[in-house]
Formats: sequence, structure tokens, C-alpha cells
Amino acid sequence: MVGVDNLVKVYGDAGGYRALNGISFHIPKGQFAAIMGPSGCGKSTLLNILGLMDQPTSGTYSLDGVSVGSLSDAARTAVRRDKLGFVFQAFNLLPRMTALQNVCLPMGYAGLSRVARRERAFHLLKKVGLEGKEQRTPLELSGGERQRVGIARSLANSPSLLLADEPTGNLDSKTAVEIMDLFKGLHAEGMTMLLVTHDPSLAAQADRILRIKDGNVIADETPRAAA
Amino acid sequence: MNVGESFRTGFVEIWSHKTRSFLSFSSIAFGVAAILYTFANVNNMYERRTKAFDIAGPGRMDIEKKEAPGSAAVTGLSKGLTSADAAAIRAALPWLYMVSPVLRVGEEIRDGDFVDRTSIEGVTPQWRRRGWVFTMRGRFFDEYDLETAARVCVLQEPGGWAGKKPFWARWWKDDGFESHVKRSDLLGRTLRIGDGLYTVIGVLKNPPRDKDPRWFLRGGSSVLVPLTTAQRYLAKRSETDALDGVDTIVVDTGAVETIPRARRRIEALLSGRHRGVADYEVNDFREMVQNMLENMRKYAVAVLAVGIVAILAGGVGIMNVTLATIFSRIREIGVRRALGATRADIMIQFLTEAMLLGVLGGVAGISLGMLGIKNLSDDGAEQIAALLWWHFPATLAISAGTALLFALYPAYQASRLDPVEALRYE
Repeated sequence: MVGVDNLVKVYGDAGGYRALNGISFHIPKGQFAAIMGPSGCGKSTLLNILGLMDQPTSGTYSLDGVSVGSLSDAARTAVRRDKLGFVFQAFNLLPRMTALQNVCLPMGYAGLSRVARRERAFHLLKKVGLEGKEQRTPLELSGGERQRVGIARSLANSPSLLLADEPTGNLDSKTAVEIMDLFKGLHAEGMTMLLVTHDPSLAAQADRILRIKDGNVIADETPRAAA
Repeated sequence: MNVGESFRTGFVEIWSHKTRSFLSFSSIAFGVAAILYTFANVNNMYERRTKAFDIAGPGRMDIEKKEAPGSAAVTGLSKGLTSADAAAIRAALPWLYMVSPVLRVGEEIRDGDFVDRTSIEGVTPQWRRRGWVFTMRGRFFDEYDLETAARVCVLQEPGGWAGKKPFWARWWKDDGFESHVKRSDLLGRTLRIGDGLYTVIGVLKNPPRDKDPRWFLRGGSSVLVPLTTAQRYLAKRSETDALDGVDTIVVDTGAVETIPRARRRIEALLSGRHRGVADYEVNDFREMVQNMLENMRKYAVAVLAVGIVAILAGGVGIMNVTLATIFSRIREIGVRRALGATRADIMIQFLTEAMLLGVLGGVAGISLGMLGIKNLSDDGAEQIAALLWWHFPATLAISAGTALLFALYPAYQASRLDPVEALRYE
């Protein structure tokens, strides 16, 4: 499903800072993987490359069996739109739009009709437990609710891979549990997921933990809960 | 992302930044108002001039009597400019629209206690064919009056002012006799001109001075008599003048293009009739018309330049606002890119917003311009009437186009933002 092989990312000229140092791993379809590591270990760089927001300096990245690491900007955008879902730590909802409009946004870029978009957005918001709050703007929602909108939005174009970057980092522990339950629900439905986190208790709920340090995988473990 | 979506987002953005939007929108509006004002002005001017040329006659040529050079022995060979010349021109060139011989004399005019000296023109019925802007009471001369040298006259009454008398008109003095005509109804009355008695058979009321289209080739006498009457009873003749002498023969070919042809034939004809004596000269107005058109064009270009400068200033305003908008929405751009917006999507979004601002500014500018035209200029209604329907879409297109053009660079910059950097931007 997701395969990276010998991925290198160097910032600046050759001989500059090596954020990723020949990292390789493979995530099969339907797996819920967590990536852990201290700050500056290359997590964000890895996530940017996996999210096709950035290009690796060398190495290959294949998604759904297609090599996508070195595509043009337009092609990467299309893959990002159709196959990837992002959940951000800071939610990144557009403040002047309602929850519904926020969820509709990626479908608009994918070219869905207005009616189809609205229908699916209603469905997704219901799925994340926000039925009846579709017309609220992010300012009128609690932190947990905002992240639910963010998750609904990430699912808009039925992605094959969900990338979550510290999705509970801005939430209290009780809400964090609710959000994690939501993720686990998605996983149960067969969604392939990659969760970047600091929090060992969150990572422990995944199928697999990749520990990263200095731009490389130092440990690939299966947590006890999943075992 | 479809265009309708961009429009909605654009409206939301414009609405949520009212002050910023208002500022850039006003700068465009002022530019548009200036351009619209230009359109109105230029077109109004153009229409007035076209009308004036139509009235004065586009194919006009004046044959004027002049003092012939040389000794009396030579000049005596010619009778001078006469009615017979006019008749010969008419006979040789029957297609001419107008051949109007005119004789001007000065004479004392009396109506009861009123006495004044005024100039009198002897004309034929052909005189009516150009410059007729009057409302007539009674009748004009006919061929019978001309044949019989009838003792009749037609008077011109001044038109006054249509609106309020402008301040500079305080120094405008009507001719003594003109005022008299205005004060008293002379139609049907008998006046004494020189030694004879003349019946007033018609009164021509001039249009109001501020609406008079004859700014070109205006003038003339306020008393008209049949040409033959003037020749027989009123002309003071020196010994060489013929009995049917005239001062001017006004010829109109009907079109500018036919002037050279008519002029050559008339000059050949007159040269023969006058036995080579150059006691007349032929003037046409082609050069004058050319100059006038040229001046008009220059004026239009000058005013348009002002409008363009104004709208360019507006464009810079739009550019500034678009840059500010983009700067304050870098993170949003990052989010949109992460969610699958292509560079083109981002560019279209900002261009749509700018264009919306431009169109809104254009609409406001049209209202502003109309208001300005109506209230700032003294013939506002006429100028608004002079606006053609396409001036409005053209103005809108100019404002939208300017906005689009000036937003192009900022929008391009926005589309080139690195999505990773943009997402991280606080």
C-alpha cells in the first residue's frame, strides 16, 4: 500500500541538513501505523513527503503500487486530492466557512457537483457525530468538534491513506480519547492510517509503531494491545 | 473548483474585509467614473459637432466678392459677382443642393417711434436649405416674391436662454433691433426700411442660445428681404457694380466628397463669365472641418488619458489589496493546497476575487459617474443622453479587466507558495 525505499531528504545544497537519511518501510493496506520520535527526528519531513506536499531528494515512494515521489506538482496535487486525507493538529479549518462548507471543500476541487458534495458532507458529518451542527462555523464549535469536522473533511474524497499529524495535540485527554475512538472506528472499516504522535498511550492503540530518530527507523514494534 | 464556487468564496472574503475591500473598490470606482465622464463628454461633443456640420452643410463653399487687382480698364471687363452667376452655376450644375446668392446692405429701420440702423440681407428661397434651426411664424419668401421684388421682409427673433442665463451672458447684448423684435409682435405689421415700406410676412424664432447648434458659421442679419428687392431698392451701388450684384454665393454640394469636383467646374465657369478678372474668391471648409475633427480627437485623447491614469491608480489599489489578502491568508492557501487545490485553482480564486472587486467598483463608479455628470456639468441630462448603451459594458469591462490585470502578479505569487511553508505559517 505505502512503500518508501531509501528515502533521503536534504535541505539546502548537497551536504546540507539530512532530515531523512535513507529511510525505508512498508505499510500494508488496512494497517494502522503510528510514527513516534523526538522533535527534529524527521517526522514532519516524512509526513510532508508521504502527503505529497514535498519531494524527496532521492529514494522512491509508492502509493497504491504507483511511484508518486517524483511526479510534477499538478500530478502530485491530483493524487493528494484523490488518495490522501489530512488531519492536522491545528485542525486548519477555514474560519469563515461552515462545517458543511469545510467538508465540501476537497470535493469541490475534485469536481463533484454541488448536490453530490452536500449530500456526502452531510453523511460524513453525521458519521463523525456532528449531525445538526453542519451550519456552524469553526468558532461556534468546541475543539473536539472542530477536529471531527477535520476528520470528516479528510474523508471527503474517500482517500486510500489517512495521514494524521498529532490530531489530539490540541485537545484535552477526554476529547482525545473520543477522537482516537473515531480513528479506531475508521480503522475497523478498513482504512489505512498513519498517525504521527508524541503520546505513547495513543501510539499503543495502533497496529504497529515505527520509532524514528535522526531520519531513520530505529525500531519497528508491535504494541502489546494489538498483539 | 468551479467558478461559481470561487465567486461565492470571493463574496464572503470581500464581505468579511469591508474596509479593505471598500478602499480598493473606491479607487476603481473613481477611475471608472472618470472614464464614463469621458465617454459622455466625447460623445456629446461628437454629436453636437455632427449636428452642427449637418446644419451648416458638409459640402459648403462660399464664393465671395472681392476687390479685383489691376486697373479699371482690366477690371471693367467684369460685371462683378451677380445673380446671373448664381443662375449660371445652378444651370451648369443642377445637382448642387444649394446655390444661395446673398446681398448685404445696411439701412435705417423704423417701426413707429423705434429707429435703428441694422444690416439687411437680400436672399432667395434657397437660403432656407441650410442652417434652418428656426421655428417660423408666417411664411418665408417664395419665387413670386423674388420675381416681383416684393416689398416684404422676414425677421429673426433672438432665442434667449433655455435654462438660467449664465453669468457671462450679462455682457451679452442683443442688437437693438433684435430686442425690439423680441419685445413686440411684428408679424403682419409694416416697417419702414430706408425709404420704402415693407410688410413683415414671417418671423423666425432662433433656438435658445445655449442650445443653438450653429456654433459653427453663425451670424447674419436679423432682417431678410428678397434678393431682388434688396438689389432694386436698398443696394448702394458704386458705378461699376451691376444691377444684379451680390456679395456672396453660398454653394452646397451636399457632401464633402463632391466639393473638389464642383469647385473646379465653378471656377472654370466663373473665370469665363468674368473674363479672367479675379474679382471673387472661392473658399471651402474642408480644412476647417479637418482641423476641428483633429482638435476634437486631441481633446478626447487628453480626457481619456486622465481616465486611464485614474483607473491605473485603481488597479494599483486592487493589486495592493490582493497582496494584503494573500498575505493574511497564506495558511489558508496551504490548507487548500493540502486538500487538493492546484496552483491554477488558487490563482483562479484570487483572480475571481479581484475581478469581483473590479466589477463592484465599476458598478459603483458608473453610479458615481452618472451622479457627477448630472450634478457637475450644466448640460448633464444631455450628456447622459449622449452615453451609448455599450459605454456601460465597456466601462465594466475596463474595470474588471484592470482588476484582473493587476491581480495577476499577486495571484501568481500566491499560486507559487510552497504548501509546506504555507501550512506552517502563523
